Amino acid sequence: MTQLASPRRGATYELQRGYRLMMVPAILAVGIFAIVPLIGMFGLAFSDYHLIRGTSWEFGFRNFAKMLSDKRLMNSIYVMASLSFFGVAAQVIIGSAIAVGLQKITGKWRVGRVLFLLPYAVPHVAVALIWLSLFTPTLSPINAFFDLFGITVPAFLTSQSGAIFAIVVADTWTNFPFAMLIIMAALQGISPDLEEAAAIDGATRIKTFIFITLPLLAPALLMVTLFRFIDSLKHFPMIFVMTKGGPGRSTQATNYYAYVQTFGNENVAYGAAIAVMLFLMAALIAYYVAKLNQRVTT
Amino acid sequence: MIDNSSEFRVKRGLGLTMMIALLVFAAIPTVWVLILSFRSPIAIFEPIWESPTALTFDNFFKITRSDFPGALMNSFLTAGLSTVFAMLVGVPAGFALAKARVTGKFLASWVLLLLRMAPPVGFVIPLFLLYVNAGLIDTYIGLVFAYMTLTLPLVTWSMWNSFAQVPDELIEAAIMDDANLPKAFLLIALPAARPGAVAAAILAFLVAWNDFFYALIITRSGTATAPVAVMNFISYDSVDWASIAVASIALTLPILPLMAIANRYIVQSLSGAVKG
Repeated sequence: MTQLASPRRGATYELQRGYRLMMVPAILAVGIFAIVPLIGMFGLAFSDYHLIRGTSWEFGFRNFAKMLSDKRLMNSIYVMASLSFFGVAAQVIIGSAIAVGLQKITGKWRVGRVLFLLPYAVPHVAVALIWLSLFTPTLSPINAFFDLFGITVPAFLTSQSGAIFAIVVADTWTNFPFAMLIIMAALQGISPDLEEAAAIDGATRIKTFIFITLPLLAPALLMVTLFRFIDSLKHFPMIFVMTKGGPGRSTQATNYYAYVQTFGNENVAYGAAIAVMLFLMAALIAYYVAKLNQRVTT
Repeated sequence: MIDNSSEFRVKRGLGLTMMIALLVFAAIPTVWVLILSFRSPIAIFEPIWESPTALTFDNFFKITRSDFPGALMNSFLTAGLSTVFAMLVGVPAGFALAKARVTGKFLASWVLLLLRMAPPVGFVIPLFLLYVNAGLIDTYIGLVFAYMTLTLPLVTWSMWNSFAQVPDELIEAAIMDDANLPKAFLLIALPAARPGAVAAAILAFLVAWNDFFYALIITRSGTATAPVAVMNFISYDSVDWASIAVASIALTLPILPLMAIANRYIVQSLSGAVKG
């Protein structure tokens, strides 16, 4: 390769210069649209900017110090962790179960896949509104159905744990198909010979699944979990639509809390400081994913 | 060896029951929205089995008289424009990142991923202050610029992955044959990566189409997108559930064909990262 290229070193140099030129618009655009706001976010986080009062141009760590003793922030982290943990777990488990189940379904019934994929296409605001209607006792057909048997379904949106449950259900409904799609693709990549060989060696179905299939699915499961976890840190439309952070302040996840501090309490600097904390968390995860992906692109 | 023992049949029955339960979970909200959208206002709080014939098309006509159709157009316009801009800038950059021999590629991939993953609240706060001062609140250009923070990293990142799968030899051969770089890019590399480009464009459009947060902060009534405008059906003392159902359908229908095309590529682009 190098021998071929060496008589044309000038051409190679030209080529690399061409590549760099092609990157310039993107570098400029990312710089303007993304890096400038990021610098702004960090600047605000160290300031005392208030939407009405403005700023005294004094910078310091006061917002971060305040975060340490902020009980509402602690609650928001608890809510975020609950939403992430239960939501991601439910999505991965349900998505995998359906992927494994659909594998055995062949022929014309395969069209049924579409039914499982449809929730993924619904925009999050619509998802939130639909589930809000299903969790509204006076409207919900689920409540009406159980009423037929004399069972009263509790009003979920009036307690913290109930409201978290409701948001997890809505989030799971729209996102399990993502897990399902990825696991289905990974299952197709597993040679049936392996499972047959295990069966011939006398392994039961469950043993085959646990010791043969599951380890081969591990990379896909890791990727799905990571992607869903990152997304779950951004919870906003469902909280905004279904609970408005309530009852009280009990379902203000951290992302939502930063919004409330900034635009509700007009404490822009403090909102930015919380955003910085979330940003640093995302940066850590993104670093890990970039490392995972490096093997593919280079 | 066919396993027909009773134990196996019990297990299969359990599996089937579970699949049906999950199907019900997946289908109930969809069926419910369809019912709700045809429900006449007087019967909306009655269970469907008590008044199964109280259905009407009025809800669909009613919504055309609201500001929702205009909001749908705003959504198309801003999502479309931000996708076009992101493709124009991001596709060449993805190509260059995949093929150039430059240092800092890992940093680039980290930054692109981070921009995709970071919670938007951090971008929105400074953008909002900037827009207030620059008079960009409630303008199309302001919203399109804001969406570029979502679409550009997405397009660049996925095109980088797509072009990485186009063999280097193909590009080198074209350049040896006296094609210049723009020619090799447009005539050789881009056609080879076309499925990836289609997928990137669709994903970018969907991200902007689904956005609620940016539009909530930087639009007012003039340029409100459909996800924000749908909230107008909730007023302080009542909720127009039928219109919400119709609006939810209107929000979902346009993207169904896009999803059908993109599904395959979503899987491919992600399982690319899965292969160890």
